[in-house]
Amino acid sequence: MSNKVNRRDFLKIMGWGGVGATLAGCDMPTTVTLEEGKEQVTSYLVPEEYVIPGVGVYYASTCLQCPAGCGLHGRVREGRILKLEGNPESPVNQGKLCQMGQAGVQTHYNPDRLTRPMARKGSGLTPVSWDEALSMIQSKTSGLAGERFAWFTDTVSGHQAVLMDAYRESIGSSRHYVHEIINNSVARQVNQDMLGDPQPHLRFDKARVVLSFGADFLGTWQSPVHNAVEYATFREAPRGVLVQVEPKMTLTGANADLWVAVRPGTEGVFALAVANALSAKDPARLDGLPDKARQLIRRYDIKKASRITGASGDHIVKVSGWLAERSPSLVIAGASAEGHEHGYDTVAATMLLNIILGNIGKTIESSGTFPFPQLAARTGGTKDLIDFAKAVDDKELDVVFFRGANPVFTAPETLGLKEKLNKVGFKVAFSMFEDETTRMADLVLPMYSPLEDWGTHVAAYQPGPSVIAIQQPLMQPLYDQTRGFGDVMLSLLKMQKAAGYSDYPDYYAYLRDAFSAMPGSLKNGASDDEFWASVMQKGVLAVDTGEGRLSANVIDFDLPENPAKEGAYHLVPSARLGMWDGRHANIPWLQEAPDQISKVVWDSWAEIHPNTARKLGVKTGDAIKITSASGTIEANVYVYKGIHPDAIAVPMGQGHEAYGRYAKGRGVNPLKILALNTEGKTGELAHHGTEVQVSRTSVRDAMVQFGGSETQMGRKIIATVTADVYERTEGEA
Amino acid sequence: MFNTLQLPSGHITHCGARFVNRFLTPSLFLLVFSALLVLSAGAAHAESVVPNAVPPVGTHDGDDVPQPIEFPHNTHVDVNKINCMYCHTYARRSPVAGIPPTSKCMGCHSVIATDKPRIKKLTEYWENKEPPPWRKVHDVPDYVHFTHEKHLKRFVFDNEGMEVENVSEVCAFCHGDVKNMTVAHKVKPLNMGFCRRCHEANEGPFDCWKCHK
Repeated sequence: MSNKVNRRDFLKIMGWGGVGATLAGCDMPTTVTLEEGKEQVTSYLVPEEYVIPGVGVYYASTCLQCPAGCGLHGRVREGRILKLEGNPESPVNQGKLCQMGQAGVQTHYNPDRLTRPMARKGSGLTPVSWDEALSMIQSKTSGLAGERFAWFTDTVSGHQAVLMDAYRESIGSSRHYVHEIINNSVARQVNQDMLGDPQPHLRFDKARVVLSFGADFLGTWQSPVHNAVEYATFREAPRGVLVQVEPKMTLTGANADLWVAVRPGTEGVFALAVANALSAKDPARLDGLPDKARQLIRRYDIKKASRITGASGDHIVKVSGWLAERSPSLVIAGASAEGHEHGYDTVAATMLLNIILGNIGKTIESSGTFPFPQLAARTGGTKDLIDFAKAVDDKELDVVFFRGANPVFTAPETLGLKEKLNKVGFKVAFSMFEDETTRMADLVLPMYSPLEDWGTHVAAYQPGPSVIAIQQPLMQPLYDQTRGFGDVMLSLLKMQKAAGYSDYPDYYAYLRDAFSAMPGSLKNGASDDEFWASVMQKGVLAVDTGEGRLSANVIDFDLPENPAKEGAYHLVPSARLGMWDGRHANIPWLQEAPDQISKVVWDSWAEIHPNTARKLGVKTGDAIKITSASGTIEANVYVYKGIHPDAIAVPMGQGHEAYGRYAKGRGVNPLKILALNTEGKTGELAHHGTEVQVSRTSVRDAMVQFGGSETQMGRKIIATVTADVYERTEGEA
Repeated sequence: MFNTLQLPSGHITHCGARFVNRFLTPSLFLLVFSALLVLSAGAAHAESVVPNAVPPVGTHDGDDVPQPIEFPHNTHVDVNKINCMYCHTYARRSPVAGIPPTSKCMGCHSVIATDKPRIKKLTEYWENKEPPPWRKVHDVPDYVHFTHEKHLKRFVFDNEGMEVENVSEVCAFCHGDVKNMTVAHKVKPLNMGFCRRCHEANEGPFDCWKCHK
């Protein structure tokens, strides 16, 4: 195009003629007008009454990008979903939505969606009809001994879970494996044992100090958007103090007032040392504790704890000072504390701090009793993955239904799951994408996207009033050979002749009926239709969970005298809001969004401390080999001070061998080289407990990083003062 | 702070003064002068049909766009005096004017002129449950946020003395004399200069982000 104004010409025009000449450029026809008659414009045949072309209509639904269960408002225009935002009616996210939720449209419109059922014929998958697919399932399950069938899923809840249970029971199986690599299973067990509630409501908004041991509550922990809303209140005047203790700086760590690097696995020692310092000032704090707990606290004086954890003694004193002065506080523990062989004891040590500080009932509240246990979340961690691999290896399973989880990607290589899965005769994947697990399936059932399907969801963590979150379709399905999960379950239940399901033509009818059957106390005198309409409009149904009381039971626990091995490198498979456990690696927006700490896009990297880098003789961009007993991965180094010198952090999420054009063949998967150590009391995978050797390679590559420079090059773009200067000039932090 | 001009109709306009004030360049006088020319040329026209408005200036010689049915705008608007907004009903409610739904056509044509070849073709589409695949004649690029709703508000509904019956004169600002066309034909440039001059003459908003969001 000869009339095109390029940048150079534009500047010339600006220079010569001033503004008048520039705006004269507005009349150039080829750059600013479109060709006529090239595009079609299709009218409605018969318009819906409320539809105005060009004007969006908003519907409420629920986000399924992670298990937090945030409410959605979707903007629909001309029958297509264009934009997702948070639903203000949802007590979970209160109108906010994170980047993963926003990117839900790219899950839905993803070009790698599975569009038709496929069955294994020989070595490949070939298209089949739905009728063929369902009758294959029927023939494989008829006459099957009950326990030889299993579900393998991610977190499920609501009426889908009810149908899954009904189907499983119709076959006679009790096996439902629930697997999430990002989980809080160890902490749930500690909560259950010490507080009598696996998932109490944490009140960041009420706390004046938050001491977090590796719980990335603003990024990947429990309910990040809700936590962030409460955190905003926590930071309002009088400003709460956040202390983060962890081996690798998380997004939450980057927000902390004090970030303390500890040697991997020594979080419990730090917690007990803080308790020690608190009791040194005020011995009465330990009143009522069992002798064993007192001994444990006495064992770690500041000097000893400082030696073991690698944290400075001053920091332990400072943290205990804050906790003593500011009440109530909140002590929490996340992945890096849980993920060791003594993870349970570490989390118990942090909970002990809560008891000593009197936080139970103040910043840790009972979640009450959810009145519909059949709808409650089935959540899990990695124990089910290990158990499943064993069951498969022992040839205990003939038919497995996979949904949501991608165990072939998330399982450590030493578990040998990929090979073991060949021992399962018939594997069915309910899936939207051809991921590593779906690829191994014998039958692939293409599912509706979450924005096309019906559902109800009850999040495992219910902050504030508990709700049943409603998922309703925001648009017509894109592909006519895909089906809704509930619809398929009903078809299967009908084939099983399970009692009570024959009357429902589809899942919608089932849900309508389920809501009509809800107790009158939830309907407020509305008719069934009015009740349904109001629930659809709001997107959530609040249910009363009653008043609960937490216990403060100090259980018998013990830590190894020195839980860390000095000088050994530990692999930290880090998680971040965005990639999550790898389920979002096929979303270009999230690949493109830089990591919050390293700012790397579209790739993996290995985060190491400058001292470690010096020892290895590498700098940012050099590739290193990370070798565990179970394998080797190679990644470019990102040198950063926000990590303990003994830790090597490689983010989870990349390294897919399948999962579509955006995910496949990109970066490395640190989960592959995890050792099969398990947490002693819960049997969960000790995912932060893998020792690795690190060596340099001769490869050097440019890191694709947003920003490019760690410093302001002395330009004072953002004025800063050091913490010491601030404390001297502004008083206490 | 704005220079104001008294129009013959008694309406006060700023004559793009905001623009002039912001860029005090040697071309100031030229700009004011040309704006005056535009104003005086438009004012005479504006008084007669569309009050308080200066029609935009500019022409374009558009391509002939073949349509599935050669829709006679002239028969509908000129001969039968049907208001533009009767069919393009979304124009006053939405950024887009919208092509009328096929059901709207059939509302009349299930009884009127059913023997005409074009209506037969239309009926065929209707019975096949397919809207005719119309081709787009007027469009602006995706980075231009144009809204029919706001323009109709300014020139028709919030315009004192404007008769809604004469709305086709307002439509004609950007779409030309569709009243006397069969299928629509692009006769206005619809480029930024065209928009800009009109916004200047009619005191439309002049910030970049008003149109480029």
